[in-house]
Amino acid sequence: MTSKLTYMGTLGLAALWGAASIPAMAAGTTAGTSVTNTATVDYQVGGVAQGQQSASNSFVVDRKINLLVEEVADATTFVVPGETSAVTTFQLTNSSNEILDFLLTASQIVGGTATHGGTDTFNVTNVRVYRDNGTTGTVGSYDPGDALVTYIDELAPDTPIRLFVVADIPTGLATGAIAGVQLRATALEGGGGGTQGAAVSQTSGANTAGKDTVFADGIGVNDGNRDASHSDADDYTVRTATLTVTKSSRVVSDPFNGTSNPKMIPGATVEYCIAVANAGGGADASSVTINDSVPGQLSFVAGTIRLNGTVTGGTCNADGVAGGSYAAPIVSGTIASVAAGATRTLIFQATVN
Amino acid sequence: MRNALLFLSATLVSVPALAANQVALENSVFVERVQTDANGRQRVLLEEPKVVVPGDRLVFVLNYRNAGAQAADKFVITNPMPSAVRFTDAGDSQPLVSVDGGRQWGPLPELTIAMADGSRRAAQPADVTHVRWAFQKPIPAGGTGKLLFRGVVK
Repeated sequence: MTSKLTYMGTLGLAALWGAASIPAMAAGTTAGTSVTNTATVDYQVGGVAQGQQSASNSFVVDRKINLLVEEVADATTFVVPGETSAVTTFQLTNSSNEILDFLLTASQIVGGTATHGGTDTFNVTNVRVYRDNGTTGTVGSYDPGDALVTYIDELAPDTPIRLFVVADIPTGLATGAIAGVQLRATALEGGGGGTQGAAVSQTSGANTAGKDTVFADGIGVNDGNRDASHSDADDYTVRTATLTVTKSSRVVSDPFNGTSNPKMIPGATVEYCIAVANAGGGADASSVTINDSVPGQLSFVAGTIRLNGTVTGGTCNADGVAGGSYAAPIVSGTIASVAAGATRTLIFQATVN
Repeated sequence: MRNALLFLSATLVSVPALAANQVALENSVFVERVQTDANGRQRVLLEEPKVVVPGDRLVFVLNYRNAGAQAADKFVITNPMPSAVRFTDAGDSQPLVSVDGGRQWGPLPELTIAMADGSRRAAQPADVTHVRWAFQKPIPAGGTGKLLFRGVVK
């Protein structure tokens, strides 16, 4: 043993282990691939080259089942009561080293904390899963060209696909109501295009020299570690308009005092104000239509309707723009939009009979 | 971190060279796994390559022996990297490596890789295509030794 290299048998593993880094591997070498390593020796004896020697070993790369379900955009989906086909977006990646099918399961949480905060308070209806059409339509967003799916057929490794959990929102919900949804994908055997594969099972018991199956997936929101499944969560948050209507009136003038301390006597002019307040934190209200009947003891003054006025300190301002209509005895007007947290008015005048 | 190196007693996947030759070479591969015991101490286990998945660390072990009656000179062991394995290190055995399919050889820090724009960057372990040990001294009759290098399953 004179070779200066013979001490190699006791390499310091601790140092080596610490120094070497393993880059994150995704799918990697296809399962079932046989890897053969061959070393050769060239040498001379007595100055004469001898025949080359070689030695080989081989092993089979096993199947590593790994997948990732991720919510896309990491933000809640704002919805209004009664909305249909409200969309939450997920991404599925096959990180295994083989083409596989994936069973998709969309579910809802009942109570508890939703993934973007807040407590789950309602359930959506008609929950279904669509796969994004990556070539036509709006790629990356839900559109009618996307396919309704229950499983993903023959998904190649390392090719993320986008999935949409689509649901309908019940009516009668208040701003801030939250519904949590979850999407779980479970690996299934691939290889049969067009048909849903059987469940994959991990090779148990003794290892075999052939292609074994190892589950390498992590924990999701509703699946365990190394169970061939992965899952993530998203949620819907209701944002609606909550309108409050108040009506006020003031005497503008009377035939004797004019506008100075007018009194409510026959012939006096009265200004009515209908104020529509939209609660803060919700959605803007659009096309807000106001109808008000003029009392029988009063006569509507033509051309006095003003829309989209403001309120200061609970008192209607004498602003807004002319508009609306009068069809005895009803005054009508439509305000295009009342923003969340804002108040807009309809004002008209009438005289006391 | 304290490590213990355990060679499992199971049969190695190896093919000995022809017995008729003067030099015998044996080539084995192990999967390197780290086990953490209840005390948090880590142990490195070398296992048979039965369950091997992408990302696993492999240790290739080459045992050589001069079975002849005379010293073997100009003793060179060459190991091309399997295409599905990425070289990581060869411990402190300081082999010559090639990053161009065996045309040029040298210590890894001295090798460079041509970039698309004509410049050259330093070669990385992942660039290694061949590993070679060229012994400076003859291997005496009966002399044995062991070499090893590591890789990761792509």
